[in-house]
Amino acid sequence: MVSIFTVAEIVRGEEKGKIEQVIFLPAEAGGWRWDGKDEKYNSGTLFDYMDGAAELYLAYGFQNLTVHRFEKSSQPAVTVELYEMSSSEDAYGVFSFERQDEAIGIGQGSEFGGGLLRFWKGKYFVSVYADGEGVEVESAILKMGRASANSIPALGLEPKLLGFIPGKDLGLVDKSVRYLKSHVLLNQRFFIAHQNILNLNRKTEAVLAQYIRDKQKAQFLLIRYPNLKESGDAYQSFMKAYLPDARGKDRSKTEDGNWTFVRQRNEFILIVFGAPTADDAEALLKATGEKLPGGQRR
Amino acid sequence: MKEKIVTRRDFLRVAAGTAMAATLGSGILGEARAEPTAKVVLIRNAEVLGDQGKIQGEILQSMLDEAVKSLLGAPEPLEAWQKLIKSSDIVGVKSNSWGKLPTPRELEMAIKRRLLDVGVPDKNIDIADRGVLNNPIFLSATALVNVRPLRTHHWAGVGTCLKNYIQFVPAPWAYHDEGCSSLGKIWTYPIVKGKTRLNILSALTPQFYGRGANFFDKRYVWPYKGLIVGTDPVAVDTIGAHLLRTKRIGFFGEDRALDVPPVHIMAADKTYHLGVSDLSRIHLIKVGWMEEVLI
Repeated sequence: MVSIFTVAEIVRGEEKGKIEQVIFLPAEAGGWRWDGKDEKYNSGTLFDYMDGAAELYLAYGFQNLTVHRFEKSSQPAVTVELYEMSSSEDAYGVFSFERQDEAIGIGQGSEFGGGLLRFWKGKYFVSVYADGEGVEVESAILKMGRASANSIPALGLEPKLLGFIPGKDLGLVDKSVRYLKSHVLLNQRFFIAHQNILNLNRKTEAVLAQYIRDKQKAQFLLIRYPNLKESGDAYQSFMKAYLPDARGKDRSKTEDGNWTFVRQRNEFILIVFGAPTADDAEALLKATGEKLPGGQRR
Repeated sequence: MKEKIVTRRDFLRVAAGTAMAATLGSGILGEARAEPTAKVVLIRNAEVLGDQGKIQGEILQSMLDEAVKSLLGAPEPLEAWQKLIKSSDIVGVKSNSWGKLPTPRELEMAIKRRLLDVGVPDKNIDIADRGVLNNPIFLSATALVNVRPLRTHHWAGVGTCLKNYIQFVPAPWAYHDEGCSSLGKIWTYPIVKGKTRLNILSALTPQFYGRGANFFDKRYVWPYKGLIVGTDPVAVDTIGAHLLRTKRIGFFGEDRALDVPPVHIMAADKTYHLGVSDLSRIHLIKVGWMEEVLI
C-alpha cells in the first residue's frame, strides 16, 4: 500500500480567491520508490519533454506538468506524469483524445492497456507507465495510479456538449467519444480535409463519436460555434469543399458507397460520415436534434 | 494559383479507383501506366535477424546490394551505386536516431561502405539525424541518402522517408499541423532539393501500430526482415504505409485507425509533385524471402 506522501505540487485554484490546492503524489507504491526528483514543465518548456507531442496538451489549455520517476531494484522504472489543464473539460479532452482501452475504475475516467494507465480527475490528466513489462510492474502502475487519483481532491464536470449526442440505443461506441478543440486534433482522429473547412477555432468545441450501424461504422461530428453566423459560414464552407456534388441538398453518397449528411441547427453543425443508409444518418441527426436546446419544439 | 483542398473524399476516390482497377484487370491498369510510374524494390531475408534479433551485418549488406542492383538494373553493386553517386560528391546520409527504433548501425555502415567503394573520400561522408542544420557535410552536400526505420508516427501517421527530412528545418513542430501534410514542402528547400539519390526504409522490425508520440509497444513490432528501396520517396513511403496497413488488418482484423492518416504522402504527390502515391502506378519488385510478405 502507499504509505508515504510528499508534497509534489502546489497549484493555484481555478479562480481568484480560492484557496490554493495542494496536490500530493505518492512517494512509494508496490515497492517502487520515488527518486526524489521533481521535474516541472510549463507551456514554454513542454516541447523539451515531449519532442513533438506538446501540441496536443497545449490545444487543451495546458498549464503545467509534473513528472516523477519511481525505481525498484531489478525492475523497470515507473513514470507518473501529472498534467494540470485549465479546466476539467480540457482534462477530459486530453483523456478522450487517445482513449482506446478498457476502463479500470481510476479517477473520473480511465483506461489501462499495453502497460499504460491514463485517467482524468478534476482538471488533471494523469499518465502512468513503465519502461518495461511484467506482472509486478503492471500491478505497481495501477497502485501508483490509484494513489495519484486519491491525491486529487476535487471532481470536475465533463463537457456539456457530450450530453447532446445519441447514445448506445443508436449504436454509440463508448470508447470512441472524443472531445476536440481544434481542426488539427479532429483531423488526427478523423481526417476530413487538410484545410480547416469547418472553421474550427479557439471558440468552437466539437464531439466526434463512432456508431455501429448495420455492423458498419459511421462517424458523427457535433460542433458548437459561438453564434449563428459562424455556424452558417462553416456550413457553407463544408458544403463547398466536401459536398460540391450535393446539388442544393444536405447529403451526398460518397465514393465508398456510404452517405455523408450535414445539418445546421442554430449555432450547431451536425455531420454524419459513412452511414450505410440515408435512414441511418437521419436517425442520428434526429436523435441529436431532439437533445439540442429547443430541439423538442422544432 | 489556389491550392487544392485535399479531403477525405480524395482518399475514398483513390481507394475506389484502385479496387476498380484490380477488378477490371490489365486494361485500366494499362491506361493508368500512361501516367508517371515509379519502381520500388522490397527485399527480404529470413536470416538477417539472428539470435535475440541481432542484425547480421553481412546479410544486410547483401540485401542492400541486391536491392540497389534490382532497382537500377545493374549487374554489380558498384555499377549500381555509380549510377547514383559520383566520387566527387559530398554525401550526407540522413539517418534516424529515435531511441526506441533507430536506423540500424549495420545499415548505416553498409551504405557508407558502398559510398567509399564508389570513391567518395571518407572526409566527404557523414551520417547524422539531429543537428544536420549545423553539420558542414550536410550543409555542403551534393548528394543525400535517406534511410530510416518504418514505423507509425503520432503526427504523420507513418514515420517514413518523407518525414525523415523534418530535421532540415529549424522548427520541426511547425510542420505537424494538418497531419503533417506540408512535409513535402521541406523537400523543395535548397538544402535538400534535388539531392536525394536513394531512399531506404528499414523494414527489419517495423512498428505497425502505436499511439502517442513517445509510446513504443513491442506488441506492435514484428520481424519482417525487409528493406524497401527506391529513388522516389513518395512511392517508397506509399509501399511502406501499405505494408503497415496490411499488417494492422491482419493483426486486428480491421484497419485500426492510426493517430492520424498518412495524408502527407498523398500531399507530397498531389501538392508538391515529389513522386507517385498511387499504388496502381508503382511497380513493386519483390526479391528474396517471400513467406508472409503481406504485399
